[in-house]
Amino acid sequence: MGNQSGKAYGLTVLCPLRSDAHEKQSFSAAVRARLHALPLDEDSPMARVPNTYLCRLFVLDDVPYQGEPAQSEHLKSKYLVFVCELHGQLETYLQGMWKNAADMINSIWEFCVGFKDDVRDADTFTRYIKKCQVTTTFYFNGSTDEPLAEQLKALYLKQEFSKFVIANQGKSAAEVQRSFAEFVKATEPSNLAGPSWRPGASRLDVA
Amino acid sequence: MSNIAGKAYAMNLVTPVKWFWIPINKIIFWSLGTALLRSKLRGLLTLSMIHYARWVILRADDFPRLHPSQPKETLEYGYMLFFSNFNGTWEQYVDSFSAAIPSGLNSLWYRNVGWPTAVPEQPFHRYVMHNQASTDYYYNAYPMAASNDVKSAKRVKDALRGFIAKTGRASADEFLSQYNLLLKDLQYDLSQMDASPIVSLATAAIAARRRTDAPPTGRRVDSAVVPARPEAEERRQREQVNG
Repeated sequence: MGNQSGKAYGLTVLCPLRSDAHEKQSFSAAVRARLHALPLDEDSPMARVPNTYLCRLFVLDDVPYQGEPAQSEHLKSKYLVFVCELHGQLETYLQGMWKNAADMINSIWEFCVGFKDDVRDADTFTRYIKKCQVTTTFYFNGSTDEPLAEQLKALYLKQEFSKFVIANQGKSAAEVQRSFAEFVKATEPSNLAGPSWRPGASRLDVA
Repeated sequence: MSNIAGKAYAMNLVTPVKWFWIPINKIIFWSLGTALLRSKLRGLLTLSMIHYARWVILRADDFPRLHPSQPKETLEYGYMLFFSNFNGTWEQYVDSFSAAIPSGLNSLWYRNVGWPTAVPEQPFHRYVMHNQASTDYYYNAYPMAASNDVKSAKRVKDALRGFIAKTGRASADEFLSQYNLLLKDLQYDLSQMDASPIVSLATAAIAARRRTDAPPTGRRVDSAVVPARPEAEERRQREQVNG
């Protein structure tokens, strides 16, 4: 299936914006302003959504024209595009997205066709997004497809173990063994609930 | 607007393709998943700068229509949507693609309207720039990590867990011997990550804009969470403008 590569899932969603012909402000401008005001990185509402690797949102106003002799044509609606790389099953992910970021969803999707009438909880949000989903033709995974918690734990361990190796160069066997036991106790390599990096952490002091 | 989140760049391309070529394009993409054309993508794996990328081909009827009041799309062309999450700058990415897999690119964008071919670079650059849609919001779960960091981190994690299981009862000398083997195995995977450096004028502009656009309440700005104190915010902005 085009949307998946192993356990990584590529979600592509195009949600049409309502007509704003009789409004004071263009809906695309309003959505953009709200998107630009969202907190970033570790403060992002998407950092609270389990198993989000990466995601983006933008407004597609129209299709580009290629110049003569190409045909000039236009979209009839503008679309809020949501592109998300996630781990696991789509339904589980969307339920988690609603549970953890409903305020953001209600704000960003407010001007989309049917959203205010049809979406009121995790189930209706999941149905809505699936109605707006388009199928990926080809999905390329250049990374891993592990759960996000495993990826973040791995990054934390890579960072800490690299420091450990530098700090213990040239020490005796007994010293290295003793230090390593302390390293394992501090980093808990097999415990995903133990020390790790925070989702979205953009600097070491907030990781 | 931000196409950049830490070390990742979000590219969105929308390019038209005549409807009668769409089945051929889909066959090409299907073939890329088979041994027949997989070699065309070998360069992508070698470049190793992509987290995830996808191509989506849409006809007018594929655009979601949720209500009879929503006008039906009447496009003559089909459209290919390309979304990529990659490391490095726009120029590095586009140039790497062009240099490493020119024939692969020509297959991926086969017969797209206005496609100039992957080389020479300048028309290719113009085509990408012309058809790129800017990202309004970009989130990355690991802004400090490149795609290679994520992959090497998995190897470090797996090796460490195996090493711990294997050396739990080892003598000090046995432990050191196994430890040295571990380091030999992981020598290409160990490195320390940090906040993304500012590597281009575009990144610098985004960093500056993040600082100046920040609202006075609670949003993270540069290296601190700004408290809800208008006078502090005003002073900070003045300082930034004055460099």
